[in-house]
Amino acid sequence: MRNFFKKILLPLLFLTCTSPLLAQYTFFTPKEAFAIEVSLPNSAEKRLPMYRNAITSLTVQGDRILGGTTAKEGLSPYLFVASISGRKLITTKDLQESIPGQKSIATGFCKGTGNKLYAGTMGQRNQLAGHLLQVSIGNGDAIEVKDLGIPVAGEGIFTLLSNREGTELYGISYPSGRFFTYTIATKKVQVFDEVAPKEKELNNLHEYAVGPEVYLCKALIQDNAGLVYGSTAGNRVFAFDPAKKTFHFLETPLPAVWGREVLGQVEAWAKAPDGKLYGGNAADGQLFVLDPATKKIKNLGKPMMMARLQALAFGRDGRLYGLAGGAPGYSHLFYYDDKGAGFVDLGNPEFEMVAPGIEQGILWRGFQLSTLAASNDGKYMVMGEDEALSQLMIFPVGQ
Amino acid sequence: MNFRFSNRLYVAACWIIELLLVAGTETTQAQKSTVTDKNIKFIEYPDFPEAHSTWGSIGYNVASNTVHIGVTNHRDNIGLYTYEPVQNLMKLNGFISDMAHLRQFQWQGKIHSKIVAAPDGSIYFSTDGGESREEYLMEHPQGYGGGFFMKWNSKTGLQNLGMGMPYESIKDIDIDPKTGMLYGITYPQAHFLVYDPAKNHLRDFGRLASSHVPRILFTDWWGNCYYVDWRQRLVKYERDSDSLVFARESLPAFPGTPGSKIITGVTAYAKDEANGIIYLITYGAKLIAFHPEKDGIGKVTDLGGVIETGKAEAWGPYVPNLNIGKNGKLYYIIGGHGNYVLKDKTVLVECDPATGKKTILREYPITAMTEATGCDIRDKDGNLYFAARRNPSAKGDSTTPFLIQFNPEKEIRK
Repeated sequence: MRNFFKKILLPLLFLTCTSPLLAQYTFFTPKEAFAIEVSLPNSAEKRLPMYRNAITSLTVQGDRILGGTTAKEGLSPYLFVASISGRKLITTKDLQESIPGQKSIATGFCKGTGNKLYAGTMGQRNQLAGHLLQVSIGNGDAIEVKDLGIPVAGEGIFTLLSNREGTELYGISYPSGRFFTYTIATKKVQVFDEVAPKEKELNNLHEYAVGPEVYLCKALIQDNAGLVYGSTAGNRVFAFDPAKKTFHFLETPLPAVWGREVLGQVEAWAKAPDGKLYGGNAADGQLFVLDPATKKIKNLGKPMMMARLQALAFGRDGRLYGLAGGAPGYSHLFYYDDKGAGFVDLGNPEFEMVAPGIEQGILWRGFQLSTLAASNDGKYMVMGEDEALSQLMIFPVGQ
Repeated sequence: MNFRFSNRLYVAACWIIELLLVAGTETTQAQKSTVTDKNIKFIEYPDFPEAHSTWGSIGYNVASNTVHIGVTNHRDNIGLYTYEPVQNLMKLNGFISDMAHLRQFQWQGKIHSKIVAAPDGSIYFSTDGGESREEYLMEHPQGYGGGFFMKWNSKTGLQNLGMGMPYESIKDIDIDPKTGMLYGITYPQAHFLVYDPAKNHLRDFGRLASSHVPRILFTDWWGNCYYVDWRQRLVKYERDSDSLVFARESLPAFPGTPGSKIITGVTAYAKDEANGIIYLITYGAKLIAFHPEKDGIGKVTDLGGVIETGKAEAWGPYVPNLNIGKNGKLYYIIGGHGNYVLKDKTVLVECDPATGKKTILREYPITAMTEATGCDIRDKDGNLYFAARRNPSAKGDSTTPFLIQFNPEKEIRK
């Protein structure tokens, strides 16, 4: 029996253990995936400088990727344009030239009419006021920026969404968390206090030693009926009716691990073709689905061990792609297929990067990925890093 | 060294092909020299039967004329050794987990960093997970909490200076001997850290590398620290400006050097302060003379490949060590991690930087020496040191570590 164990059973057990262990050295590297070198100090190439390039906003228009960055304190962010087909960075624009004193463009880009895009900025720590930007890609891929002013006096713009018609913007201010609307044609701003944390809530939040970055709503979405959804402190979800200018709170809270409700924060949304709203909760990284018809929230679970679920987008294959996790530790790319395998954790992407001077190609592995956007046709997923030197990582999606 | 398996397979395949090609050139490379076995001594580590390996974990302490080595079982136990050359004494000072009061959940796989010395005789090093569980288990119960900066002094013992980053190893460190500032690089995210132990002030300068973490940090005589970015460009932490300065050009590389070797950058260095040169070896097997300048990056001179490879790829040889003798000549051992310039042999090479001539002094079967590390380690008597390991069975990764003492100019007392 001892020999049987030593000579037969043990080797068999060893063999069965071998393949999953080796699999740890695999990375998500689909064919035709690639990275674009966006950031590189001291270079003759057009590149973003260090500490000013954390990619916190992304959108794709045809072949063009438009990005917005966040800078270290005291430095100013950038806007940039890259080409998917050219696999290179094309244009950069230092926001300091248009609107001095800003730190971050983290709202993503909202679509208006006539290919105009909108974004919000956050100011520096000692001057928080943020501006609304109108951004467009002009002739020769020039980035055109128009300053639409400060919507909420003394406050930064933490979150921004445009309506389906591209005529109105909805946002959350920082640090008070007030909801505002901005009518593009008239530039009229309305500010609402309904979703801002109240004194009792702030006292509770103080006990947890968390700041507005953690409890303010990080993403808004509009359903097919026109209601705008977001989260508030205390793990609740609100719905804003733009026609009536009223708020109501959903009965179902965000999914939470017991005792961690204080960390509840929607930080990503994506609308499915059937109109259902998929959201990511920062608290423990749960994916959930909100049915606008019933106003019920269903917890779909967690794609990985860590907290955070920072970005979501549907691909042309019908799968919902997302970025879960983040610092400390690092993010994983995943997809959710409710008709197939459910959650599939794709782990760390590792794509080839080719650029002048590294023509033979090097492999670039994404650790801190915080933004993700799908191309209009859903063929490409574009991911942006949140690093000292951040790059773009792009992979094709099957039919 | 946490090379990825896919790379291992690729490298192994390349080397099998190369070995077949190189075998025919072996006799042309071996040349007569005055170095014999009497110039070399292999020194064992006592009181650690399960010792597996040493990594970059070696350093010289000028204040006490001692060599310090971190020896690991490559799982969860690290012995800290001191070798006193005058007494010919190798001594185990203790195990890191005990001396640093580490709990089981704070396990450390190895010391990967070199061991650096301060003028007061204290030494500094950092710890490393060194296993797949480090990179993948993270928050799980047996995962890796993170690597620590540590200080040891023979009089006061070991002091744990704290963690660098959660879940991250600290692959290498160096010290500014004038200010005591420590520099570190983390794994796997390659964050460059600047740590002032006197003030317990740690700063993270962000990620500098790509999918593989270059292992080597080194300082110049002004206390500036150097690393490489993903294009194999030198990155200088400039002490006076407290900022990073990037070289405009990449370090020299052979045509066709794969990107995987470019992104790993420098594997070894040795300083010749008298002549203002820091010699570097790249992962692409280039020997380089770097002339640092107080301000800016400084000039780089290409000294060619580490060895004549014949028909084999010039960028192939792997050299994770470099020492400079009192005679001004460079000494390094080629081989390791499955890469051997001669079939199943490591070779000790002498290079005269004045003439560029490279000579194989000794050859060792991998059963006797499979790999060696150690940068810029020379004692007062001109003895050079390498932290080596052998694989007696020549199979798998069943290695045992030992120290090499080598004097190119005189016989060593045994």
